[in-house]
Amino acid sequence: MIHVESVLDSDMEISLNTTSLQKETATQSIPTSGVVEPVVLQPVRKAIPLTQLSRGQRGRIMHEDFPTPDSSMLRAMGLRPDASIQMCRLGEPCIVSLSGACGGGCRIGLAKDIASRVMVQLDD
Amino acid sequence: MSLTTPIDLDATPTQRTIAFLGNPNVGKTTLFNHIAGIRAKTANFPGTTQEARVAHLHRNQIESVLIDLPGIYSLNLDLSESRVCAQCLDGTAAPVGEKAHIPDALLIVIDATNLMRNLSIVGESIAKRLPTVVAVNMIDTARRRGIHIDAARLSECLGCPVVVCSGKTGEGVDQLISTLDHATIPTRSAPLDQSGIERWAQDVYSIVSLPSDRIDDDTLTDRLDRAFTHPVLGVCSFALIMTGLFFVIFKLAAYPMDWIDMWFSTVGGWVGSIIPEGAIHDLMVDGVIAGVGGTLIFLPQICLLFFLLALLEGTGYLARAAFVIDRVLRPFGLSGHAFVPLLSSHACAIPGIMATRAIPDRRDRLAAILVAPFMSCTARIPVYVLLTTILFPNRPSMQALAFTMCYVLGAGAGLLTSLLARRTILRGKSRPMALELPSYRIPDLRSALLLTLDRGLVFLKKAGTLIVAISIVLWWLGAYPHVSPSQQVQDLQTQATLTTDSTQIIELETQAQTLHARQSAAGSFLGQLGSAFQPIFEPLGYDRQLTVGVLASFAAREVFVSTMAVQVAGTDDVDDDSVLESIAGAVRDDGTPVFTAATSWSLLVFYVLASLCLPTLVVTAKEAGAWKWALLQLGWMSFVAYVGAMLAYQIISGIGA
Repeated sequence: MIHVESVLDSDMEISLNTTSLQKETATQSIPTSGVVEPVVLQPVRKAIPLTQLSRGQRGRIMHEDFPTPDSSMLRAMGLRPDASIQMCRLGEPCIVSLSGACGGGCRIGLAKDIASRVMVQLDD
Repeated sequence: MSLTTPIDLDATPTQRTIAFLGNPNVGKTTLFNHIAGIRAKTANFPGTTQEARVAHLHRNQIESVLIDLPGIYSLNLDLSESRVCAQCLDGTAAPVGEKAHIPDALLIVIDATNLMRNLSIVGESIAKRLPTVVAVNMIDTARRRGIHIDAARLSECLGCPVVVCSGKTGEGVDQLISTLDHATIPTRSAPLDQSGIERWAQDVYSIVSLPSDRIDDDTLTDRLDRAFTHPVLGVCSFALIMTGLFFVIFKLAAYPMDWIDMWFSTVGGWVGSIIPEGAIHDLMVDGVIAGVGGTLIFLPQICLLFFLLALLEGTGYLARAAFVIDRVLRPFGLSGHAFVPLLSSHACAIPGIMATRAIPDRRDRLAAILVAPFMSCTARIPVYVLLTTILFPNRPSMQALAFTMCYVLGAGAGLLTSLLARRTILRGKSRPMALELPSYRIPDLRSALLLTLDRGLVFLKKAGTLIVAISIVLWWLGAYPHVSPSQQVQDLQTQATLTTDSTQIIELETQAQTLHARQSAAGSFLGQLGSAFQPIFEPLGYDRQLTVGVLASFAAREVFVSTMAVQVAGTDDVDDDSVLESIAGAVRDDGTPVFTAATSWSLLVFYVLASLCLPTLVVTAKEAGAWKWALLQLGWMSFVAYVGAMLAYQIISGIGA
């Protein structure tokens, strides 16, 4: 466990402004059994809530935690793991752009409630 | 088969059904309209509130039935529109008027500017093993944005024909139509599970999309989005746009409304002159023509509202406005999804309630349905005009203020109703919004016009059936049993025959007619009902005549003005100012004025709040799925209206005393 924590802490550029709550989430998302080693080899970036992205920042969706009735709908709208996402407007509503590599994509307006449940990993 | 086509006994398939499927906002309906044009009509799926546009086209001795299915994100969602689409592809459901069978071809419309997500529904659909063609739509926009799609490779990956096109410019549409004749069952398949399809879509996407040669510039979209959803700027621009919308509706609609009015009075006069006096004459002139004319007069407003809303939706603004309104509605337990339904309700609650279909959460939807009839619809306008004119004669600024207050009172009562409902019968908060924000575009005029035509026809159909029926019943109740002229009337008539002065003859005859009309109105079934129900409305300050007006309004609110006119003046020609004046100067049976300040305010409050519209109740029951909701709506609105009107009457007469 200590080992995992230290790996996470070394990722300074992101963890600087994250709270302890998000550290917990990130820690939970990493398997604690014998799978620790590949994590050490490939430094992980912490998943942060979408609402913590600043305007114009891009990221990749890691996982979401939507309430069940919304879940499949939002996923079909394109908010699914591994989708590339860019923050266009912060606050209520939060506007994101789900963009493909060649410049296409769509814009989705999200209530803050929903946006805070999407965990993303920042792009370089 | 058209009549001009020779009958060919060798012709094999004579009818082909082609289903159009795709995500929302991919320009599917624009493409459909480009192909089908004015020949399309809207039809429901039986037992649901989902609609599809259907067109029958004849080409090369083959009749093609095109069905534009509702836009969906996935076939497997637990939503009514997804189920309808899936059933239609399985051949177990079809729009009303069409035979349910497995479509002969499937056209999947996808958005070239948002290919990856759109591929998911392609993956789901090719699993249906139907002859399929994929249309990569909006290729003009994609090209402008530097997006390249390799259609040949995409066709290889899917194992079915792929056509790039633009429903807006018409590019590639001819090729699409001829390709549809040769649709083949896809030779490839996609995984069946959700994450499998997502991975598959990503793989296909990386194969068919070529790297962009320019970086996409979304600065303008970003700026507009930020402005339109800004807490202050967003609300200001919303208020400005909506004021403009209603200004245009009321200003422009006034002209065609005058023409319709004139046309109906001419027709009424003409029909009246050719049909001999008697029951059929009265039925046609006072029942059918008056009733239909009184309803059709609102057609221009309804058409304009739908046209302008369709244009506004085409620009992409409405989705942003929904978020602005969400902030206002949320504390009252309504979501931003309720914005368009409530806005439409200002024209008429019926299309408003029908528009609640777009609200995904059932409780949010029910709350919006309950609230919609509180919005001041155009049918209330004639009553507002009458009462504000009586209250503030020759003071237009005060009339306008009172008019606005009616709208505010209605909306306020609606919000409080929602607040109450969300704390009791529909407990819970409204679901947080997630909405796709379509790109800003110049709206498609053709689609807006077709939609307007469609909605206008639906309204005409309603006026032609339900309202004719209600008008006939009302006329019958008001005209029977015939009351023979009383002694007083006969005396006046005798006096008239004995007088030689022509002006006096006319005066006496008019007096006799007016008196007879009043007595007939009082003696008719409607008049008897009025006398029976009057005690209930006593605390509100209404006499027998007003009670009859209110009761008649249960069929449709606008009937109030003509009913009052019939009762007090013995004529239903309310276009004439003098008739409005005679309503204003109407007297009770004891000789005191009918419309005192207290009574007028009380009536105004009553008409703002009461559920006086039978068709709305029918639509509420249908859309909410049970009659209990319609009865609840009726009961609650009647209660609020009664208490509100009573308070208004008692307070104002208290102050006046």
